[in-house]
This record gives sequence, C-alpha cells and structure tokens, in this order.
Amino acid sequence: MCKSGIMIGGINLKTLELGDSDPYGDFKVLTVPIKRAGNLIIVEAQIDSLVGNFVLDTGAPYLVLNATYFRDLPKINEQDAGGINGRTGGTFTAVVHNFSLGFDLHYDRLIADVTDLSGIENSKKIKILGLLGTRVFAKLAITIDLSKNLLYIHKLDKQGEILSAERVFDKPDVKTTFKYMNDVIFIKGNVSDKSIWFAFDTGAETNMLDFHVSKKIIKSLQVINRNNVVGVGGTSYEIIYAHFDKLIIGDYPFISNRVLVSNLENIGKAYGYTVDGILGYDFFARGIFTINFAKKEFEMYIYNHQ
Amino acid sequence: MRTLKHLFTMLLMLCSLTAAIAQKRNRIMMLRGHIMLIVDINTSKTEIDSLLKVGGVTGQTADMLLHGNYKPAIKDGWNVKAKKNIIKLDRSLSDTGQNTQITPYLLSSNVYKNNSRAGYPADVAYGVNNFSRVTVHELPSGLTRFFVPGNTQVKRVQLSGNFNNWSTIKGNMNRTDSGWVYDMRLEAGKYYYKLIIGGNWTADTYNNLTEDDGLGNTNSVYYRYNYTFRLAGYPSARKVSVTGTFNKGAEIPMRLKDGLWEGQLYLHDGNYLYRFMVNGSPITDPANKLTQKQNNVLNSVLLMGENITFKLNGYTNARKVYVTGGFSNWDADMLPLTKTATGWVLPYTISAGNYQYKFIVDGQWITDPANPHQISTDGKTNSFLVVRPNRTFTLKGYSAAHTVRLTGDFINWNEQGYTLEHRGDEWTISLRLKPGKYLYKFLIDGNWILDPGNKQWEQNQFGTGNSVLWIE
Repeated sequence: MCKSGIMIGGINLKTLELGDSDPYGDFKVLTVPIKRAGNLIIVEAQIDSLVGNFVLDTGAPYLVLNATYFRDLPKINEQDAGGINGRTGGTFTAVVHNFSLGFDLHYDRLIADVTDLSGIENSKKIKILGLLGTRVFAKLAITIDLSKNLLYIHKLDKQGEILSAERVFDKPDVKTTFKYMNDVIFIKGNVSDKSIWFAFDTGAETNMLDFHVSKKIIKSLQVINRNNVVGVGGTSYEIIYAHFDKLIIGDYPFISNRVLVSNLENIGKAYGYTVDGILGYDFFARGIFTINFAKKEFEMYIYNHQ
Repeated sequence: MRTLKHLFTMLLMLCSLTAAIAQKRNRIMMLRGHIMLIVDINTSKTEIDSLLKVGGVTGQTADMLLHGNYKPAIKDGWNVKAKKNIIKLDRSLSDTGQNTQITPYLLSSNVYKNNSRAGYPADVAYGVNNFSRVTVHELPSGLTRFFVPGNTQVKRVQLSGNFNNWSTIKGNMNRTDSGWVYDMRLEAGKYYYKLIIGGNWTADTYNNLTEDDGLGNTNSVYYRYNYTFRLAGYPSARKVSVTGTFNKGAEIPMRLKDGLWEGQLYLHDGNYLYRFMVNGSPITDPANKLTQKQNNVLNSVLLMGENITFKLNGYTNARKVYVTGGFSNWDADMLPLTKTATGWVLPYTISAGNYQYKFIVDGQWITDPANPHQISTDGKTNSFLVVRPNRTFTLKGYSAAHTVRLTGDFINWNEQGYTLEHRGDEWTISLRLKPGKYLYKFLIDGNWILDPGNKQWEQNQFGTGNSVLWIE
C-alpha cells in the first residue's frame, strides 16, 4: 500500500507534478443546493461545458468519473482490476481541467479515476457523471443539512477553523476527531461496550457492519431479515438486516440503529485498511453535520433529540 | 482440545435450545459466527412461514418443515436439526457468497433500488392551474415565462424542475426591476418545479397547486395548457362550466372573455365526451358537429391526438376490414375501414405512443403490407406504428444485412426486437420514449452490436456492453 498524496494508481504525482490544484472562488461560505436520489446526496458540478449530477461520496478518495460519459479522456495510467481502489476492469486515471462545483468553487486540475458507475445510475434512475470524493474538499470544511437540502462549503482560517460568523450551528451535540487515512474518514464508535472503527461514508445508503466484528456485537443484533443479493457482475452474496439499540459516537448515544451486516473484506481492501463498519445514511441523516478536513473534526447538530 | 471445543459448542447450542423451549416462540439470531432460526413446531404455520421468510430460506415452507421435509433448506445451504419440538436451521455467516462489492455505494445501492423517478409527474388526464398571483404564463411567442417577484437583493435565483432534470445550475433566472424571469419552451403537460432563491430551495408561494413527492419534498405544479373550450352566446348566464369524461363529471368553471365563455386546461391525448353546463343545465357544444350518445345522453366528442389514416390497398372483394391494436385495446370490431375504389381506409385520432396493430380482413388477421416496421413477440408478428416519435435510431452501412433489429431494456431485450427500415445507406426506426435511461443494441442478422453512432455505453454481465441513451 502506498502513501496517500504521493502515489495514485501507481503514478508518482510529485515526479509528474500532477497533484490536485487548490480550489478557488470568491466566498467565505458557499450555499450549494443539493438533490437526493434515494439516500444519496447529489451535487451538480461542471466539467468544461458538461453539467451534471455527482454523488457526494466520502467513501471515495477523490474525483471518480462515470466511464459511460468520460471513456475518451486521455489516460495517464491504466489500473488493474481490483487495484488500489479496487475498481472494476477498464478503470483508468485521468486529469480533469476546469472543474466547477456549483457556481463559485473552481479547480483548474483534478486527478480522477474513470470507472463504471452504471450500477448507481440503474438503481437510482438518474444520470450520474461521477462521485465527489474526499480529496475534492481536502482544504475545506463541508456542512450538510439534509432537512433543507443544502451543502455549505466553508473556507477555513489559518488555524483550520470555520470562520465563526459562518458557522451553521454553534453548539454541536456530537464532536469527535477522525483519522484520515488513504483519503477515508475513520470515526471511532462504540457498540455493545466494544469500541470499533467506522468509515464515514456519505455514499453508503445504510450503516454497515462486517461479519467479522466482535462476537459480542454480533450477538447483540436483532435480525430483521436475511437476503441473498445479486451484485454488479452477477455474483450473489449474503446480507443481513439488523437492529441494535445504542451506537455511541463522540460520547453521544444514537438510539435505535439499523445496520446491514455483510462481508466487508473487499470494501476494506479498497480502503487500504480493514474496516469494522460503515456509518452511512441511517447515521448522518440524524442531524446537520460538518466535516472539517483540515482539523479532522466531525460535528453534528441532532435534529430530534431522543 | 478439539473435542472440548465441540463439547462447548454443543453446550452453548443446548443452552440456546432450552432458552427457546422456555420461551415457546420462534427466533432468529446471530451467534458464534452463525445465523440460526429456532422453530418451535407448536407455533402456527403462518408464524413459521414468516420466520422462514425473514431468514431468507429459499423454497422452504412451514408445511414441508413440519412434515420432516428439509430438502429446500439443505439445498439452500442450511444445516437442519430437529429435536423434540424444536427444529433448528443454521448456517455459517462466512460460508455463503463472498461479497465482491468493493465499495459501500455498490453494496447499498444494490439493496435500495428506486422503482420510479421521484420528482417526475405521472400522466394525468387533465389539469387546471391555480395561482394566488399568476407567476407562470404563456407568452405570445409560445414560450412559458416563470416570474419570481422581488428578491432582487439576492445573488441569484434559479428555476429547477422536471423540465430541466431538476438542475441546480441550468435554470438561472434573469434579474429585472421587479423580480426574476425565465422563459422556456414547454410541451403541453404537467410539470413539477421549485425555486432556488439565494441557494435555498423553496416552492412557488404564489402557486396554490403543490404535490408532495413522498420523500418530504413539496413541489409546485404547473400545467402547460393545450386546449380551450369555447361557448358563444349566453352573455347573461350566471355560471358556465364544462364537464366530461376526462374529469369524471367534475365541473371546470369557464370565464366570460370578449363575449365568449372560455375554459382553458391541459388535456392529455385521448378521446373524450363532454358537455357544457349553463346555469346548471347541460348542453352539447353547438360549435362541434361530432356527437355521441352515452347512457341515452347526447355528448359532444373531442378527439385529442394525432390524425392517422389507416390504409389497406387491394382486398376490394373483401366484405369487411377492421383495424385493431394497442390503441383500441385489441377490440376486433371497434374500428371498421371504409371501402374505396382501390382498397380500404380509416382516418382515426391516436395519442402519442408506440403501437402494435393488425388488419382483420374477413376474419383473417394480417400485418400491414405497406409498413416495413414490425415487432415479434411470442412468435406473433404485428405491424408497428409510432405516433409523435421523439427519437430516431439510425445505423449507417450494413447494406448487405438481411434484417436489422433494435432491442433493449424497453422491450425486455426481446431478441425479435423492432425491425428497422432500410432507406438509402442507413437503417432507421423512430420511437416514442418516455424520459429516463435506456439500454439498447442492434441485432444484425442475429449478431449483437453496440450502436456505432453512440459513444455512450456501459458494461453488461456478458462483457459486451450496452449502448446508453437518456431521453430528457
């Protein structure tokens, strides 16, 4: 496994001088209207003259583009199937110029993976140009308010703080630091008195737990149902829907949680770190949340206290 | 050591068994890397069946289970053990189907599938707008103008709706002294929209028509009109309205304008009966010669749609010729053709869409010999007619091919597909497709190919790809 920020898809960015350029735009905080497709968060962005939908996906390391529409971009590197990001065959790395998020945030140059995203399109029935991964926001903070369908993009001061006048909420109910490894956000949580590491993934439409977590946790789950699902590529796999009472994140107890239990080994491989679980929609829909990528801080203001 | 471990497992399982017996109820749980179903045979079959369903035990019913037939469960990978009044099904959590999904979004989007497109209105028979202050209206040029009063201090105001795929970028309104305007061309129909004022989503507060999308969003509704009912005379009438089969007898009020009573509305294509109500008394439309009796009541007839003429040349010795198809619900004797000197003819009004049809000549069902477009399903071949197509598929070359067909997810990948017409150096067919995503391929004498004229394609389970088309 290579270190993040230096190598992407086997290419040494420093030697090629090809890293992402810094975002720019005349703002302190941007209010960007978002859309929803099922439990996914959709933000419109523009590449050259092409405007379309992108999934805000903190489970993706950087910009990922749908091969259906970007197959002809010049390749800077071909990736093996199941390579660094575990993507499907035919995935390659490209450089995108003139990328704009909403009207006011611009990037001159972004590294992107081009891969098959038809699975999301077909399941959500909307046109998806790509995924906005974490590195797009690496020097910023974002706040998402699902009740108002708004994304706030904050510029940070020298200390990496959101300007106090531009904060969306003052007193967070949840405040916790996170680890940022391989461009993935890992948040420590607690289930059944066991401490586990969750990846925080806005692209996950539900919380997830790995089969292999502590037996004590598995035993505490109340099974809702079990299914075999046929995935992209035609292979079938098992998922179990379950319920558990208490999830503690940053000292705040989240009551009555739904979780999908499956084998997350392959997802862990794609992250580059084994993952016990994933915090998805069931978690982040509980409140307005802010991710500060500079300070590596997660905050949430809960909509309805239980 | 191993025996000890087994003994321990046995003990644990026994414990869980006794617990289940004590509770006398069915349970599903995860324990020691296994998922277990504990079935108490004294519970009802319905309860046992619902437990089997929750456990996803394919093919196994309570009835079979209680009669000692565990074959479906065993075939599905379960270990089944019966002891006294308890039947236990268990399987390891790790032995079935490696999850090859490598990203959470693939795993969860595979579970959460959208059946319909939220935010896109379904077909309705008619619609009438209701504004407290008219903020949307038609211009003489045929464009539709959306107006947002005030808010001139904000940086930008946007119009987003199903007409621009709910874009948050494309519908930038123009600032004027009194507010914001946006003009666009709309086909007749029903639309959902919202405004984005300074980045914030809001419904049009002046529009009284709203609909909830079922996901907590309230959208404003606008109908782009395509028909005006008009009644001359009755200048001193107190109340005039129109009622018809499109609104199931409800009344749409009409207004006196320049000496004419008028009622404007959006009306979906179709064949309708209607009457005017003048001071509560029904009359037929004096300006419309088409009438039809229904339940002994005379109604005016309104045909909305495209005028099509069905023609069958020859067969002049036949006694009766009918046309039947999807437009007449395959009613065999609803639409008779009239004999001419050279054949048979019937003018008819059909709404926009794709239709299969056949002629019936003295009881013999035949395809239309003058129409090269055909479609075959289940061994039956019908002629194919498209009214107001919105997409033409074209394949250049392949002049030596015997047949070229189009197939895709819109006809369940039926291998017979739609037959293309060979014209000049290209093969073509036009279709009417609703907004959404379509996957398709051409079949050239039985060989599948991607559309060489379309760069957009996605991978399929055979590794051969499907062409991708969005109708917007």
